[in-house]
Amino acid sequence: MKRALEDLARLPGVWLGGELEHVVREVVATGHAELDRELPGGGWPLGSLSEVLHDEAGIGEVGFLCGALARASEGRRRIAWVSPPHLPYAPALVQHGLALDRCLVVRPVHREDALWAAEQSLRSGACGAVLLWLPNAPAEGGEYACLRRLHMAAQAGRSMAVLFRSSAAESRSTPAHLRVALTRRADALELRIPKRRGPPLVEPIALVAGWRSRTAPEARAAACVPSRVPVPADPPRALPRIAA
Amino acid sequence: MLWVALELPELPLQIVERAGASRDPLAIAEGPPQRPVVACANAAAKAAGVREGQAVAAAKALAAALRVVARDAGAEKETLERLAAWASQFTPMVSVEAQGIVLEVESGLRLFGGHARLTAAIRRGVRELGLRAALGIAPTPSAARLLARGEAQGLRVRGCFAAGELPARLAELPLFLLDWPEGTLARLADLGVLRVRDALALPPEGIARRFGPEIADSLARLTGRLADARSPYVAPPRFRARLELPAQAEDVGALAFPLRRLLAEFEGALRGRGAGAQRVSIALEHDRTARTHVQLDFASPEREAEFILAIAREKLARLALAAPTVALELRADALLPYAPRASTWLPGEREQALDAERLIERLAARLGRDRVFGIALGDDHRPEKSWENRGQTPISKERNSVDAGSGIPSFGNWGLSPVFGPRPVWLLHVPQRLLVQDGEPRLQGALEMRGGPERIEAGWWDGGEVRRDYYIARNPRGETFWIFREHRDLRAWYLHGVFA
Repeated sequence: MKRALEDLARLPGVWLGGELEHVVREVVATGHAELDRELPGGGWPLGSLSEVLHDEAGIGEVGFLCGALARASEGRRRIAWVSPPHLPYAPALVQHGLALDRCLVVRPVHREDALWAAEQSLRSGACGAVLLWLPNAPAEGGEYACLRRLHMAAQAGRSMAVLFRSSAAESRSTPAHLRVALTRRADALELRIPKRRGPPLVEPIALVAGWRSRTAPEARAAACVPSRVPVPADPPRALPRIAA
Repeated sequence: MLWVALELPELPLQIVERAGASRDPLAIAEGPPQRPVVACANAAAKAAGVREGQAVAAAKALAAALRVVARDAGAEKETLERLAAWASQFTPMVSVEAQGIVLEVESGLRLFGGHARLTAAIRRGVRELGLRAALGIAPTPSAARLLARGEAQGLRVRGCFAAGELPARLAELPLFLLDWPEGTLARLADLGVLRVRDALALPPEGIARRFGPEIADSLARLTGRLADARSPYVAPPRFRARLELPAQAEDVGALAFPLRRLLAEFEGALRGRGAGAQRVSIALEHDRTARTHVQLDFASPEREAEFILAIAREKLARLALAAPTVALELRADALLPYAPRASTWLPGEREQALDAERLIERLAARLGRDRVFGIALGDDHRPEKSWENRGQTPISKERNSVDAGSGIPSFGNWGLSPVFGPRPVWLLHVPQRLLVQDGEPRLQGALEMRGGPERIEAGWWDGGEVRRDYYIARNPRGETFWIFREHRDLRAWYLHGVFA
């Protein structure tokens, strides 16, 4: 019996409830060893849809993925940013180790166009990664079907599809194989995995925010002040407190 | 030499029905306006008893709903020329004949994998154009035409591949299939000479004396005893094709089918020239004067019908038509050299780049040119100018331009100059003024400064002067922002970026 179960669990797409799926699918390392350990296959999945749930903007919700994005864009594959909430800022992307000539920003007006653009990008095979934000997504019946389409397109194009949504979506079912929920605690980014091919990760793991891990901001910022710049006539009186 | 002839005896009818066959009886009329006769009739008209050569008045009596269209010799010639341009993808030697075209194919037989595959490809291609043609293959163009006409008449004919077999293969074909004058044919029939075999049995000198030397020469050309030179058709260095729709199309979706036909013709003609087009315009004709123009621009020369159709569909779907469409016109005025796309099993970097170009075309066609863009570093310290909108420049072109440079790396090629401080992933297009309480900025709670100030002072040379102190600030929710204040007014704080 045990033997039979083991044989069964060796099939792709089949895994025992208590452990992570072990069949090696196409994954890319995220650059965070503690996260890679918790992901089935040891990295962020290619060829499937995944979701990043977060309520706060500016906690490093994009930055923590940049290691995976850089690897997914190897071989001149593109990274499509579909309807991002703001402009992806070129210097920051370079600091995160992304090649700018791979980045493609798509800013559709409507939600349908955003879904269409994401599906086209995934299906084309030209994109290693597609990051998607859906503006004011209503909790409608067709949502699951839309996401399912994206998942199929990601499979067809062997691309990494990441949908960023608010944590309210956690209660709704999803065709995505991976769901990561982010919160901020002190200096670290806390990460739970409510859904993966294996048991959900309830105990959060802490990641150091992307920009902090690569640059020492205070030191760089200090070096940045040109020496010849005249001090403003009215020096800042109540300079806000600066954390050590 | 091996020639393929395509004969289109129903050409006048096919021109009208190309964009979609009509179910109502339809006849093409020719002859003097006082007594027009039926030149061709479609299946519905034939079922009602309409025959070729009948007077139009008699035909109308047989089928009350008969639609009669006057024969247009100009359109026929133009269609044949367009067919010849399309066929130039198979051979450079294509010649336009009275009711069809002939192609010299021997030189390309190996390339196309033998005559069976070649003729199958030609037949399939002609069908995709919306035309029906009979096909003959023989060592001389006249014989190929004769065989094609035989096939069009429903006779059992087989292709002939050796000049020695020609007389035997042609023997049973009736003489009236040749372009000989009616009088000559009648006199030959009086003599009991009805088939090619009978004519070949007669001494050529006798034929020349009795019926004229051109008849004897015609027979000699048929069997290859006399050289039969044709001049190749040279297509004009641009592409223009027009197709009338069978019924007025109210809906844009109904245009896809006729457009596919035009694009198949386009692809064949450009394949023959080894060309592609970077700009293709489609005109939807509503009536004599009103037209809607749709222009497709590509990053690199294109000609594949399927791809262009996909782009055109996206464009057309965005269109609200004021009036129904009666005809379509496809134009490409500048033809450029085309680099064929290799379809490999495992796409390499080059293919990825080409795929990406096509993806960008497709996205831009539907969403608009300004909504799909690449980004690059800008040569400026001002945050709003330290990035550039690269538009839709394809990677491959950009790489060439870098290669073409003297190898001096520009600011963008170095990666980032090390004097930059941390930059946020999101940049706001317009800095947003922050709420200030007790002299301190707030954004969903008090902001705690985590880094800075980073002074950015630039632009005094171009009037867009910026003197700002940037800080990295975090609110109690853990959200990290990039905020600044201007030296002009130190109490005013602005949000400029989000460390996402």
